[in-house]
Amino acid sequence: MDALYLIKIGEIRLKEGNRTEFEQRLKHDLKRRLSSIHSEVRHRDGRYYLTVAEEHAGLAEFVLARTPGVNGWARAVMTSKDIDAVRAAVLEAAAAVVARGAATFKVEARRSDKSFPLSSYEIASGLGADILERFPSLRVDVRAPEATLYVEIREKAYVYTDGYPGVRGLPIGSGGRGLLLLSGGIDSPVAGYRMLCRGLSLESLYFHAYPYTSREAWEKVRDLAATLASFSGGMTLHTASFTDVQLRIKKDAPAEKTTLYLRACMMIAADMVAKARGLNAIVSGESLGQVASQTAENMRFTGSFTDHAILRPLVGTDKEDTIRTARAIGSYELSILPYEDCCVLFSPKHPILKADFAAEREAFEALGLREAVAESVATMETLEVPFSPELPRAGAAR
Amino acid sequence: MYHGPMHYLDWAATAPPYRDILEAAVGVATERYGNPSSRHGAGRDARALLESARERLGAAIGAAPSSVVFTSGGSEADAIALLSTLVGKGERSVVISELEHPAVYEQARALESLGVRVVRVRPERDGVVSPGRVAEALRPDTAVVAVMAVSNETGAIQPIGRIVEAVRSAAGPRRPFVHCDAVQALGTIGFDARALGVDGAAFSAHKLGGPRGVGALYLSRPISPLVLGGGQEGGMRPGTHNTAGAWAFAEAAARAAASVEARMERARALERRLFDGLRAIPGATPLPEGRLPGDERYSPYIACLSFPGLAGETMTRLLDEAGVAISTGSACSSSKKERRSLDAMGVDRELSFSSIRVSSGRDTSEADIDAFLEAASSAYIRFRV
Repeated sequence: MDALYLIKIGEIRLKEGNRTEFEQRLKHDLKRRLSSIHSEVRHRDGRYYLTVAEEHAGLAEFVLARTPGVNGWARAVMTSKDIDAVRAAVLEAAAAVVARGAATFKVEARRSDKSFPLSSYEIASGLGADILERFPSLRVDVRAPEATLYVEIREKAYVYTDGYPGVRGLPIGSGGRGLLLLSGGIDSPVAGYRMLCRGLSLESLYFHAYPYTSREAWEKVRDLAATLASFSGGMTLHTASFTDVQLRIKKDAPAEKTTLYLRACMMIAADMVAKARGLNAIVSGESLGQVASQTAENMRFTGSFTDHAILRPLVGTDKEDTIRTARAIGSYELSILPYEDCCVLFSPKHPILKADFAAEREAFEALGLREAVAESVATMETLEVPFSPELPRAGAAR
Repeated sequence: MYHGPMHYLDWAATAPPYRDILEAAVGVATERYGNPSSRHGAGRDARALLESARERLGAAIGAAPSSVVFTSGGSEADAIALLSTLVGKGERSVVISELEHPAVYEQARALESLGVRVVRVRPERDGVVSPGRVAEALRPDTAVVAVMAVSNETGAIQPIGRIVEAVRSAAGPRRPFVHCDAVQALGTIGFDARALGVDGAAFSAHKLGGPRGVGALYLSRPISPLVLGGGQEGGMRPGTHNTAGAWAFAEAAARAAASVEARMERARALERRLFDGLRAIPGATPLPEGRLPGDERYSPYIACLSFPGLAGETMTRLLDEAGVAISTGSACSSSKKERRSLDAMGVDRELSFSSIRVSSGRDTSEADIDAFLEAASSAYIRFRV
């Protein structure tokens, strides 16, 4: 037997001009994530229908819950456009509703095939009466029902109950391509997730500083990339060694400016990688005022080292909200693993809060760090992290 | 397959086992498998073996066999002693040193959350706990006093005998139970429970070449255990006896204890080599600062060294790459940023953050020490910030 899913899309419908392209992207995204199995994705009248073999229902649901552009989804039953067949499917769905303990319900019917002999109202009220007769314990509540049974008469008849929410947003790639500055912290994976949901296709860049940061710290970042890959369908992770850059900064720069200059170097590297890879935006997890380097003045300074758009989706987000999202997407437990151990010796006790733009630009350039940054980009390593329904777990690798 | 580091200097975390003892233990486990509590021939045979192991271990720690309780390890031995505080009526309090291993320190924290008052005694700057300060910390309701024999982080030898005397004379007839975690002492500097006068002491087999999963609790007088069961080990530690483990522990302890004095001279020589070499690395310092080789306040087997400007974690990683195994403080808690016992000694945060622990044992050679010094020196020069 096959499992049939009805997929609701949201914003795609609004973008009339690009609609066909968006629809093709979403279809392609779903198919690509399901490439290991046989699946069928059809779309008609703004609805998508996914069919997979019953044994692959788990994978299908994993994909539907994590593909941007999917607003919601529900397991559906398809019947012929015959009211007796529809009634049988509705009563079966109602039995499941009773089994899970719901006491109130309503039936919502839609008829896009106007040749069907009954109106939407007639379908809903007739089936509602049938349900009440069969399940006397149920009551109708049209305002706040505990369960809703949907009947849609289209080219076929579809019956389904309350579905599950998707991540919403826009299909990957519809918003262009970007480079995520991915650290092992809580913020950057969430920033990446937010932009993925806006349709930005992403590659990630991590700055490794072995031996100051450990192999475990890199593995954690790889696992975070894999977590993001479950939403994006795969993730390219670039790792640039910043050990020499950090040592140069520590040696030559005034202590209070080391963090600011390090971030400038990271932006220069990101700019180089974005240009080389044809990416049009840089995504950062910065949040205004969260740490010393994340003031408006300092963002202006670090931002001046690239002419790419810098997207900071968390800039006005409270940390608690970021943590809530991190928990929801499964990155939080990885992010809090304690492998970021050595920054302490590089972090100044009293970092500069408000960079004087012109003066700092000049002082930074005088240090001549660009060559070391270019060297780190030239020797960068790249890993393709594939989409996988097996998510990394904190502790599994330890 | 991992064949181990070329230079193993993490003996305080665990000692390479005596191979012949572990192999013989397999024979004991498979041939003398009776349950020592069973009343048939196989059970009596296993019981006899267990009792001879008890006698042997007793001899190694200065205790009558009847005072030896086999446990699953050092941590459990500590827990049995501390948790007994909860049994009985009235207010109870516990006095521990700030140096204690997590087996005592965290257990005390748990007791605290259950309403037991815990008084923590700071060591002096040299890492040694003053008997006077322990006596001052006593309260009328103090049920247990716990001070370890040798600090697993600095190697500081605690004056257990004098602490026992100070507690006895301050507490008078109330006589709180004096417990000593002697895990780092047995087999290195040696431990004599009767001579020191403690009421309880904890030991672990794997720190001296025995197997994992076996330890012992010395008890000069009975306590009321919190965990109850089948009544094994005089009711102090329920659960079917690990006969082969107990046998192997006793063998290893007897062998290690017999050579404590013979090995001491050599350990002191290696300590001197380590400290002399360290002096040649500009910036590096032992902790506590000013510790000199040959100082009787410290076990020559454990040294805490700081390389300011290079995090202990980073140094550990770099040495690992060079084939030298050391650890940062207590290996079991190396992921924690705090260096609790160094903080308590008043060590500067940068020094403690940059500290590592080098610990040696029966097989450690001059070459191991030299390899460490060379690797640490070059890592320090290249990566200090």
